[in-house]
Amino acid sequence: MILPSRSNASTVADRLAEIVGDRHVLSRPSELLVYNSDGLPGYRRQPRLAVFPGARDEAIAVVRLLADEGLPFVPRGAGTGLSGGSLADDIIVIGLHRLKDIISLDIENRRVTVEPGVVNLRLNKYVAPHGLLYAPDPSSEAACTIGGNVAENAGGPHCLKYGVTLNHVLAMTVVLPSGEVVELGSKFGEHDGYDLRGAFIGSEGCFGLALDITVKLTQRPQTVRTLLADFMSVDKAARVTSAIIASGIVPAALEFMDGPTIRVVEASIYAAGYPKDAEAVLLIELDGLEAGVSADLEVVRRVCIEGGARNVKVARDDVERLKLWQGRKKAFGAMGRLASHLIVQDAVIPRTRLSEILATIGAISKKYGVLVCNVFHAGDGNLHPNIAYNADDTDESERVHKAMTEIMNACIAAGGSITGEHGVGLDKMGYMESIFSDNSLNAMCELRGVFDPEHRANPGKVMPIHSCKEWNAVASAR
Amino acid sequence: MVSYVPGDLTLTVRGGTTLAEIGRVTGEHDQWLPLDPFGSDEGTIGATIATASAGPLATGFGLPRDLLLGLEFVNGRGEIVRAGGKVVKNVAGFDLSRLLTGSWGTLGVITEVTVRLYSRPKVDRTFAVPLGRGQKSTTELLRAVAASPLAPFALEILNGAAALSLGFGDNPTLLVRFGGNAPVVDAQLKAFSQLARTEEVEQSTWPALRKMDGDAASVIRISTLPTRFLTVASSILADTEPRIMISINPRRGIMRLVTQDDGDREPASIADPGISLDFPSDGEGAGTSVIFEKLPAEVWPVVSPSVASDPLSRGIKKAYDPHNILNPGILGH
Repeated sequence: MILPSRSNASTVADRLAEIVGDRHVLSRPSELLVYNSDGLPGYRRQPRLAVFPGARDEAIAVVRLLADEGLPFVPRGAGTGLSGGSLADDIIVIGLHRLKDIISLDIENRRVTVEPGVVNLRLNKYVAPHGLLYAPDPSSEAACTIGGNVAENAGGPHCLKYGVTLNHVLAMTVVLPSGEVVELGSKFGEHDGYDLRGAFIGSEGCFGLALDITVKLTQRPQTVRTLLADFMSVDKAARVTSAIIASGIVPAALEFMDGPTIRVVEASIYAAGYPKDAEAVLLIELDGLEAGVSADLEVVRRVCIEGGARNVKVARDDVERLKLWQGRKKAFGAMGRLASHLIVQDAVIPRTRLSEILATIGAISKKYGVLVCNVFHAGDGNLHPNIAYNADDTDESERVHKAMTEIMNACIAAGGSITGEHGVGLDKMGYMESIFSDNSLNAMCELRGVFDPEHRANPGKVMPIHSCKEWNAVASAR
Repeated sequence: MVSYVPGDLTLTVRGGTTLAEIGRVTGEHDQWLPLDPFGSDEGTIGATIATASAGPLATGFGLPRDLLLGLEFVNGRGEIVRAGGKVVKNVAGFDLSRLLTGSWGTLGVITEVTVRLYSRPKVDRTFAVPLGRGQKSTTELLRAVAASPLAPFALEILNGAAALSLGFGDNPTLLVRFGGNAPVVDAQLKAFSQLARTEEVEQSTWPALRKMDGDAASVIRISTLPTRFLTVASSILADTEPRIMISINPRRGIMRLVTQDDGDREPASIADPGISLDFPSDGEGAGTSVIFEKLPAEVWPVVSPSVASDPLSRGIKKAYDPHNILNPGILGH
């Protein structure tokens, strides 16, 4: 890998500034500080430069300049990622937040084309007056961008019913690391040939940059009802979750918060009125046609009560509903009250194993003397055990990391995945070999090699380098 | 069957498992895989994924790519590759599952598939609406359905020839399928009845529609923006060409033309849809794709597909099948 020398970098900075303007190239270490981490503060890498193109043509010109110079780069959206995926270790960050035009809205065909820097919630506010919504709703929706959502194949609470980013993206214009611009998918109809759009979604910035993205919009449901069921036992809440899924009802969302999470949320400005003495709450949302939702609501209420819920409260209006959601969506932020650092996991397990795995997580947290806060997409089996800790305390850090490794291994052993929506990035690269064989990893490396033969886009992420046969061959030839 | 835990609503099977077998096993637990590709349930799940074949239920449940959670395949070097997993949400590694879906066997032989299942709806009913006789115009009806909160499992429009083959007389006909709990089906039926005069028909209508191409000479699928069909559907349906059976899925923006072999046509004309596709121009010009699903072998070279001829697709083909032994030529390499 060719990294820019210090002197070379200043030349590159000048030439980048010619493309985007002086104001939009950062090179001083103090200016770059904010780009040295993402939403997972445990990882820090200092970029060499950061460049912010303000138009599509500028983005293409930046990528072409870096291609000519053979320089590696890391694409970045809003920096809300939770896997260290957008960190740049002494290389160039291309920030795409200035590309924020909503290019075209087709109400009748329910699709919209946006630039990558459009913030998820802004898109939803834009289409709401037309009775439409963009379904994937990461908890960071108020800040995260559609480009970042595509890179991570982002999920969110409502993906239980509506599917994740890959189910909603129709087409993209992409600039490959070589500077070539290609169309993936089809804005108009269904695509024939290889699903390159599908391959690109979730490629974590390793395949290039999306310059525009066309997504499907969904009709707003006629009725939305939100329930809060509280439990005096984590196990009961877990069993009720499995029972709701097994009942065949597909809630719009089915979220789980345990006692430690409830208490930190309730102590914060995001307090949602969750009962502070509960050991778990389930936040369950049903949507669709009024008649069907009312019938399902009664079934869900009954399953909760029969499963040992202490109370089941149904939000009376949108104000109450949004308050219940605010506590859930801001829970990660509220954990900032506990300690300076937070480690977040994202494993997915089969939904029938929930009760057993939560018990295992409880045992592991006791064993290592750490406080695990569980707040997660229970309906999907997508766990988010969080541990707040002080990274400067080496003993605590060590215990936290050991506990997290043990939790991850338990999820893998249950037949799960290492990440449901946050991506592999830097954080989970070490687990890739636990779930994929050498041949499988190599097939992924080969796919990346087609999009980025020089391995310049987001190098050192997702795939453990030694798992790529071709790269090994190149390395040993040197 | 490799693994099936009904409570997880996921199923892992070997690639050669038929859709009928999947239907039987999941049906025992009141579950189903809502994939009904055109053809019959004797087709395999591996082939369904490899060809990305979908049918009427795609309206309510999405395409094969949307129901697929993971797969195993053998690439052109004989290596076993796994992608995705067995859980319902997964972003670990690059998405080879989507890549293999619709790759027509050119990148690997699919040996195992994991899919998401759904509970069978408590109520599942189908209704037919004869179009054009005392009904609002087809366009108006489709616009009204699109603007309503109706969420049908399936919605297909048939031309006279297709309707006749299903025993509905030779009138263009709209088929709609509502499923879910009893109140949701009743509410939808009530709302729909205000838009059109409906008549309940047998559920066996759907398998019959799917088998329509059984002995066809050619099947051509046209895909474009859904609204483009709104405006031309009436005129397409009015064209009474008894040899061509047409079904339109206005939600997906798909039209399928099934042409019977009359034995005396030139190969090139068999690949010609034979009707005028006068889509209104929306200023962007492009965007209509014609996909050949089935053609007589001798016609295939005439239309010579080149859907995977771009540099990225060629690069992927070369990486996964360096000796070009996997279904060579099918995508125009």
